[in-house]
Amino acid sequence: MLSVVHLSKKYEKQNAVQDISFHLDGGEVVGLLGPNGAGKSTTMKCIVGLLRKTAGEISIGGYDHLTVEAKRLFSYIPETPYVYDLLTIWEHMQFIAQAYGVKDWKPKALELLELYELEDKQKKLGRDLSKGMRQKLSICCALLPDPQLLFFDEPMIGLDPKAIKNTKNLFKTLKDEGKTILVSTHLIEGVESIADRIMIMKDGQIIGNDSIANLKLQAESGSGLSLEDLFLELTKDE
Amino acid sequence: MNEVRLLLSKDLWIFRNNLLLILRNPLRLIPYGIAGAYFFYMYTQRISGSKEVTSDLNLEAASEVDVAMQNVIGGVTALALFFFLFQLFRATKKNITFFKMADVNLLFTAPVKPENLLLYYMVRTILPSLGGSLLFLAYSGGQLARDFDVDFLGAFFLVVGFALFFFLISPLRFLIYTLHTRFGILEPLRAGVLGVGVVFAALVLLPGFMAPVFYEGMFAWISSPWFDLFPVVGWSRGMMSYFVTGNWLLSLGYLLLYCLTYFAVVKLVIQFSGHYYEDVLESTQSNEDQLEKAKGKKEVTEDAYSLNSKKQLALPEFGVGAKAIYWRNYVQGSRRDFHPLFGLYSIGMAVLGIVLAVLSPFDWFSHKVLYGYLVLLIGFYFMAGIGRANIGDLKKPWFILIPASWSAKYWNMIKLDLIQTVLFAGVLILPAVWIAELNVWLILLFPLGMIFSYLIGLGVNLIPQIGLDEGWDRILIKPLMIGGIILFGLVPTIFFSGLLLGVTGQFVYGLGAGVIGLGLVAALVTHVTMDILKRLEFKEM
Repeated sequence: MLSVVHLSKKYEKQNAVQDISFHLDGGEVVGLLGPNGAGKSTTMKCIVGLLRKTAGEISIGGYDHLTVEAKRLFSYIPETPYVYDLLTIWEHMQFIAQAYGVKDWKPKALELLELYELEDKQKKLGRDLSKGMRQKLSICCALLPDPQLLFFDEPMIGLDPKAIKNTKNLFKTLKDEGKTILVSTHLIEGVESIADRIMIMKDGQIIGNDSIANLKLQAESGSGLSLEDLFLELTKDE
Repeated sequence: MNEVRLLLSKDLWIFRNNLLLILRNPLRLIPYGIAGAYFFYMYTQRISGSKEVTSDLNLEAASEVDVAMQNVIGGVTALALFFFLFQLFRATKKNITFFKMADVNLLFTAPVKPENLLLYYMVRTILPSLGGSLLFLAYSGGQLARDFDVDFLGAFFLVVGFALFFFLISPLRFLIYTLHTRFGILEPLRAGVLGVGVVFAALVLLPGFMAPVFYEGMFAWISSPWFDLFPVVGWSRGMMSYFVTGNWLLSLGYLLLYCLTYFAVVKLVIQFSGHYYEDVLESTQSNEDQLEKAKGKKEVTEDAYSLNSKKQLALPEFGVGAKAIYWRNYVQGSRRDFHPLFGLYSIGMAVLGIVLAVLSPFDWFSHKVLYGYLVLLIGFYFMAGIGRANIGDLKKPWFILIPASWSAKYWNMIKLDLIQTVLFAGVLILPAVWIAELNVWLILLFPLGMIFSYLIGLGVNLIPQIGLDEGWDRILIKPLMIGGIILFGLVPTIFFSGLLLGVTGQFVYGLGAGVIGLGLVAALVTHVTMDILKRLEFKEM
């Protein structure tokens, strides 16, 4: 579904992402872990086309990631949930339905708003929403086109406990539906229970890429470390 | 194009929601109503006033009239040219953006063609330019219609000339940045803009030095008709001068030049911008931050223009309670400049004033330039006061939490600014009075004028910020308040100041009257500020 080959991203002289390669199969849920500044968000923004890659190839569903065909296949939930100040929640859904050409979008939109407890706030303007509600709206907008591939950039930040639980449940539902998900986070517990695989990034490079089970085995064999200990061990400064 | 339909419907929803918001709170229309009434009043007053009788002008005074007209045309052209070059130069530092962060998050990742998005947003920027030029026409149209018999075609060329000038700047800036990201030619572009700036300075300085009196000759070249051929600035001037020349063919020619240029610029932008999303990310984010600051949701950062931000400090404490605020300002001031009390920016402005003082005894120069500079600085400190209310202590919870009286906190918040102002004013005015042999009372009046002006600026921004909850209300009511202060405080001050200046011919008397008036307004505004300060609450997004 997603293939990243020798991706590099440079900001002037700084290497934010250095020659990374990975791929995600259809239906796979992968956690992209790493400390702050590891290059997770940059990688994700390069994949979704918000940043220009310095080198490498990225394809989504067999299409180049910048083509309209590729963009029909994925949705992106950004770290900071900016919405239009003067559009209501419902109008946001309508706008996304138009942008992605979603037919019969209203029942799906209602279902999503209900899941995220926004159904009674449909007429609220974007400017009147709290950060948490904007994040919920951002997730609803991303799910409305029913994409095959989802990119979540730090999705739990700003959400209340119930919304976090809902999002984790949603990951499970999406996984059961065969969706492919890449979740960037620096919190292991956010993805530990749902991810098939974890990729650990540090200084713009992928330093670990394995299934949760294998990583746990590796951790336990290393003098009984937990997954969190292993993560800290891998990402500690030399 | 699906994209155009999509964006159009989004903008129509936004427009409708804006109207609904206004209807929900019609009081917000009051400032607009007052502004509309003011424009209507100005229009009817000007159109009904008597037409200036030009036949009474005697021929001996004709040359003076020419110089005055030349300076008006040249001055306006110079301002427009400076603005234009400054905008182009800014493009070599930071890209312009037509987007909002919501567009980045929701549209950039959607299956839409980037070039169609860009085209739509680029064309849409004509709306604010057109709105601004219509306001300009409403304001000045009455007088123009009366004195110059402006007909429909004249009004059309005025509006279009004004609108196109502002409209073309954004695509040009975008093109400059696009060419830079595509070909890495930032330095040649910057050098080109600077080169045009140097040529422009020469066009002012050379005829100025060639004339018997500098200010009589400085605009001789740029106010001449051939300057109408200068791109953008000249074209607009040429087009708008239809109501004087009556040559519609010429104005139409300039309009065609604009159309061709716009077409070429858009073509070049679309051809070279490619996948431009990254190029606009930073500027879009920065615009969003500015907007949030304007709405009062986000604090304005204090590190802007810091010269010494990494300086390590070990400053002694000044005391407890509210004095901690003064200490914090002192630390901040040490990092912003090379000395917290008198820094590089102050030296630069003081040196400029002293240079003007040195030049003023010469025949080809005038004391008036120095006086103008002093008045300009007093006005500048009004703006500094306005800016001060947006940053620093008032936006921090500590300002509320520190166990001290509100008056002590307020005093410690502005203390460093006042010391800086007095020091700067002293360093400028003492040598200036001595060198240019000015009246010694200026030594007292100039610093006082600066301080009063600063306090008024601080007050007019602070009072609506604290007193009005809704960010947009602040934006709407603030002009009303400033208008009131200008109308009932500053206009009488300026009137008496100008009257004394006119009667006595002495700048010091004019400034004296001005400072007394400013002092009264400052006292009133500070009193209200102190009264309202206790209502301050910490706001965060």
